[in-house]
Amino acid sequence: MNSLIVFNLIVSVFAFFVCRAKASRLREKHTLLVASNTHWGWYGFLNVFIPTLVLGVLIHYVGIYFINSGIRSSTALEFASHAEYLLVKENVNASVILILDEISQIRFLSSFIVIISYLISGIEPALLAVQSGTTIEHLDLVVLALKTKIMALTATLVLGVVIALMQAQRSINTVSANYNAREKVEFVIISLLGLSSLIAVLTTVGIVISLLSETINFAMMHSIVDFLFGTVWNPQFTSGEVEGYGSDLGILPLLWGTLYISFVALAFSVPIGLYSAIYLSEYASDRFRSIAKPVLELLAGIPTIVYGLFALLTVGPLLRDSFTQPLGLGSNSDSVLAAGLVMGIMLIPFVSSLSDDIINAVPQTLRDGSYGLGATQSETVKNVIIPAALPGIIGAVLLAASRAIGETMIVVLGAGAAAKLSLNPLEGMATITAKIVNQLTGDTEFESPETLVAFALGLSLFVITLCLNVLALYIVRKYREEYE
Amino acid sequence: MLDTTVDNMIEEKPKIIARDVKVVYGDKEALRDVSLDVMDKTVTAFIGPSGCGKSTFLRCFNRMNDTIANCRVSGSLIYDGQEISAHDPVTLRARIGMVFQKPNPFPKSIYDNVAYGPRIHGLSKNKADLDGIVEKALRRGALWDEVKDRLHETGTGLSGGQQQRLCIARAIATEPEVLLMDEPCSALDPIATAQIEELINELKQSYSVVIVTHSMQQAARVSQKTAFFHLGNLVEYNDTGDIFTKPSDPRTESYITGRIG
Amino acid sequence: MSLKARQSKEKRFQFAGLAAISIGLLCLVMLFASVLSAGLPAFQQTFIKLTFNLPADKLDKSGNRNPQEMKKVSTIGYTKVITEQLKLNLTKAGLEFDQLSKKELKNMISKEAPAQVRYAVLEDPSLLDREFEMVLLANGRIDGYYKGRVTKKSAELDVMVSPKQLELADQMKRAGILETRFNGRFFYWPDASDLRPEAAGLGVALLGSFYMVLIVLVLAVPLAVCTAIFLEEFAPKNRFTDLIEINISNLAAVPSIVFGILGLSLFINFMDLPQSAPIVGGLCLTLMTLPTVIIAARASIKAVPPSIKAAALGLGASKVQAVFHHVLPSAAPGILTGTIIGLAQALGETAPLLLIGMVAFVREYPSLSPEGIFEPATALPVQLYNWTVRGDPAFVERASGAIIVLLVFMITMNLLAIVLRKRFERRW
Repeated sequence: MNSLIVFNLIVSVFAFFVCRAKASRLREKHTLLVASNTHWGWYGFLNVFIPTLVLGVLIHYVGIYFINSGIRSSTALEFASHAEYLLVKENVNASVILILDEISQIRFLSSFIVIISYLISGIEPALLAVQSGTTIEHLDLVVLALKTKIMALTATLVLGVVIALMQAQRSINTVSANYNAREKVEFVIISLLGLSSLIAVLTTVGIVISLLSETINFAMMHSIVDFLFGTVWNPQFTSGEVEGYGSDLGILPLLWGTLYISFVALAFSVPIGLYSAIYLSEYASDRFRSIAKPVLELLAGIPTIVYGLFALLTVGPLLRDSFTQPLGLGSNSDSVLAAGLVMGIMLIPFVSSLSDDIINAVPQTLRDGSYGLGATQSETVKNVIIPAALPGIIGAVLLAASRAIGETMIVVLGAGAAAKLSLNPLEGMATITAKIVNQLTGDTEFESPETLVAFALGLSLFVITLCLNVLALYIVRKYREEYE
Repeated sequence: MLDTTVDNMIEEKPKIIARDVKVVYGDKEALRDVSLDVMDKTVTAFIGPSGCGKSTFLRCFNRMNDTIANCRVSGSLIYDGQEISAHDPVTLRARIGMVFQKPNPFPKSIYDNVAYGPRIHGLSKNKADLDGIVEKALRRGALWDEVKDRLHETGTGLSGGQQQRLCIARAIATEPEVLLMDEPCSALDPIATAQIEELINELKQSYSVVIVTHSMQQAARVSQKTAFFHLGNLVEYNDTGDIFTKPSDPRTESYITGRIG
Repeated sequence: MSLKARQSKEKRFQFAGLAAISIGLLCLVMLFASVLSAGLPAFQQTFIKLTFNLPADKLDKSGNRNPQEMKKVSTIGYTKVITEQLKLNLTKAGLEFDQLSKKELKNMISKEAPAQVRYAVLEDPSLLDREFEMVLLANGRIDGYYKGRVTKKSAELDVMVSPKQLELADQMKRAGILETRFNGRFFYWPDASDLRPEAAGLGVALLGSFYMVLIVLVLAVPLAVCTAIFLEEFAPKNRFTDLIEINISNLAAVPSIVFGILGLSLFINFMDLPQSAPIVGGLCLTLMTLPTVIIAARASIKAVPPSIKAAALGLGASKVQAVFHHVLPSAAPGILTGTIIGLAQALGETAPLLLIGMVAFVREYPSLSPEGIFEPATALPVQLYNWTVRGDPAFVERASGAIIVLLVFMITMNLLAIVLRKRFERRW
């Protein structure tokens, strides 16, 4: 395979230079060509490279298909399970690689060497050489796979060389004043751009598939109703072997913890962020704004683990010493309040910069109208700007809520690990994200409901945040359109 | 009467022939059934009030309307014996250059601005060749003396009038046959405008120039032919002198005398 | 309402705004103060400087200085020798140590020291039987004593350290054998086990983070720029491209931990890539950063005035040429700014890396060759999380130190982005 790529690259580069040179020679006679010399060069290159690459990949997979079906239909073996088949397949592949390595000791241009030595002496010498060192299992399958592989290699190489040369010849002949090579080359470029934009879509598809499939696995082991409506979270990692499972895996306490902490965070960050934004956009001098805004942005750039440590080391103990212990409520430094406050600090710049954008989008004419009627600045803000910006601000708050719900490190470090339905903000509570981390780190058996529940939690988290995001983005977009 | 026939015989055949050209933006008709011939080595001015379709018509000539989504052009536009829609837009635009309303030099050096067209069209064989093309274009753009010592400074650092002359030089560098100018002086002061007008007058020797302008005085000063557009219609197309002295359509007369527009 | 009442209302409102900003800035100050006060000591370490004269008869029994044979002596053998050497040094300095038990004496020095000495000797067997000086780490608790973490009072209750040891340490300090100074090893040593926090360093984590940021840079930036160009310049306006756009803005707001779950099931379970490897972390972070960089790139492409593109098209450049020759270079500073912010985000991200096994204890550096990205490593934020959850307060100090390192990187990158934005801000 790699010998072919090396060869193709050589031919492609050759085609590049020949086409370019020919175009440049042609240009001396005609004043204008539709495509530039470089376009012609790339035309030649792509014309050779793409077909041979496609061919190589195609033959490679056809070969693999034949090998696999050969193994599957092998009469000597009866596969009890799919796993057994996979094992045999892996063994055969390993042996094939071993023998191929034996035939060609060097890696560079190995396919050439393999084919030539096969034509000269067949595979027996290499087979014997390998057999002298180790025993080969499923010898007949290995031989079959080896022959298929060498045939595929030969086909790839022969066809690849032929097609490469033909395409090179053809593209050199196409070089003319009127043929639009630019269009062809640019089509390839635009296609590549389009393909790369698919990655983002595929990411979402990947997220949904991976979450859904494991959640279905989970649903087959554990009642999904219990998961959605259970009020107790108590995974028992050891009880799985005894009989059934003794775990209570209800999401409600986690959902409660998540929402409670997010609520505290928003209650802290929204007023502060909003007032900051109003001050920055309506009152602050340019100099103050040019300093305060980057500083607030800096706050937004701090990694969440830093906030987590801040909650754990500073805010948690501070709250414990000043409230929890004096009030006789225990000696817990992990608390909803600590995590919520720190998360609030994290969200301040987020809320303030979003609101700042939104307030700035309110047209100046609205302000002028209000001032023209003799309103003070604060009256203008309260009666004109805020009502006008309200949909956008709601959108910003929803986005902040989605951030709060999905935040992980702060709650892992600052909120504690106990899942409970309680109203006391000085108690520690666990959240969905914290439990995902809990269930998926450490050495646990993958195929157990206690592990798989993490995917169900992940799916719930994804759905909740997705709804918030879609709603928020929709509101913000509608708002923007109104003033554009 | 005899004079005009002789003139017609001397004049070459038209550079661009437009017949029943119609432009629609979405469902809004911007231009209705316009027919006129653009002559070679002549300055043709398109005048008319804002929104009359003169710029839209100009942009049909080099297919710049292609870049606007939901804009459809119908009718017949013949350049070089071939429908404009059949030309490759890229080669077409190299042969029909364009200067825009606002000077829009690339944020690159003066030299690179002028050299860009020749480079992508492969008009030069080597560096010396390219230097020659750049110098020639800048000379014809009446800018050479002002910038010859700072060719490698950025083009955006020039004054407005210089920038616009740079854009003209940049358009000339690809050796076009027709030069389209879309209100080239609207963003310039009177002195810079005078320089550009002088330049247009010289360019007439080698190119067919089509200029869109909202200033009737400018049209009268620089053009030999004038077309008056109103509400998407070509109202009148004639020798500039005739349009301004004895307009045949009452709408033209009202515009020229300042009653509409 | 009277004018006076309205004016005082105005004042109150303005004050509320100022107060809000002050609270925000105060939080920042508190955060930094807390991190700095907890973390700065991590850059200092207490060392013990000893003059060694290692007996060859104990460490090289065959006497031929062959490292292969000398390997038979384990660190336990070295521990004994080092303790003897410590006694000799103390006696020479005139210090009393009879009141200390043998174990207490041994534990003055870090458990890392025997391995350190053994390594030095195996590297250069000629060190045996002659005098040379070597600087060893002091035990973490003694180090803590000089940083205020441990006091003589707390030592009474501590099984790991006794007041007598601290007393001796004070004497050693006066004698110049022991000193607390800058610890460069914090940056390049690997992690250490629970019992020797004094030896733990960020080496593996920094290398792992470097690999991951490199992967993000190589993968996310070209992909994001291509996507942004496609969506801004070439995409037909239809429902599918609308879907891509909505999808990207949603993806930017998906919680980071979800990308960890994706990485776990896609890259590790499905594609069989190795756990804890920078390649998996890098791929996860790439997918996570991609929308951020795409959005930034689109914004800066959009900000390029259409007149530039029109000028190029008017000269007969094709659309692809106009975009790549003029629009993209003009948008480059904005794209660069977005890239830096995206990279900073990737560098500081922790949650997804926890799920793909990067919390593992890794002491071996991944190799510097390209294969290194498939070998186990940790990352800076995960390393500091890892230290945080260990019991010993010495590790919390190191975690805070790691935060300072992380913050220096983050702030540098963010400032760079801000400066770039200011520098290249173009008024068209």
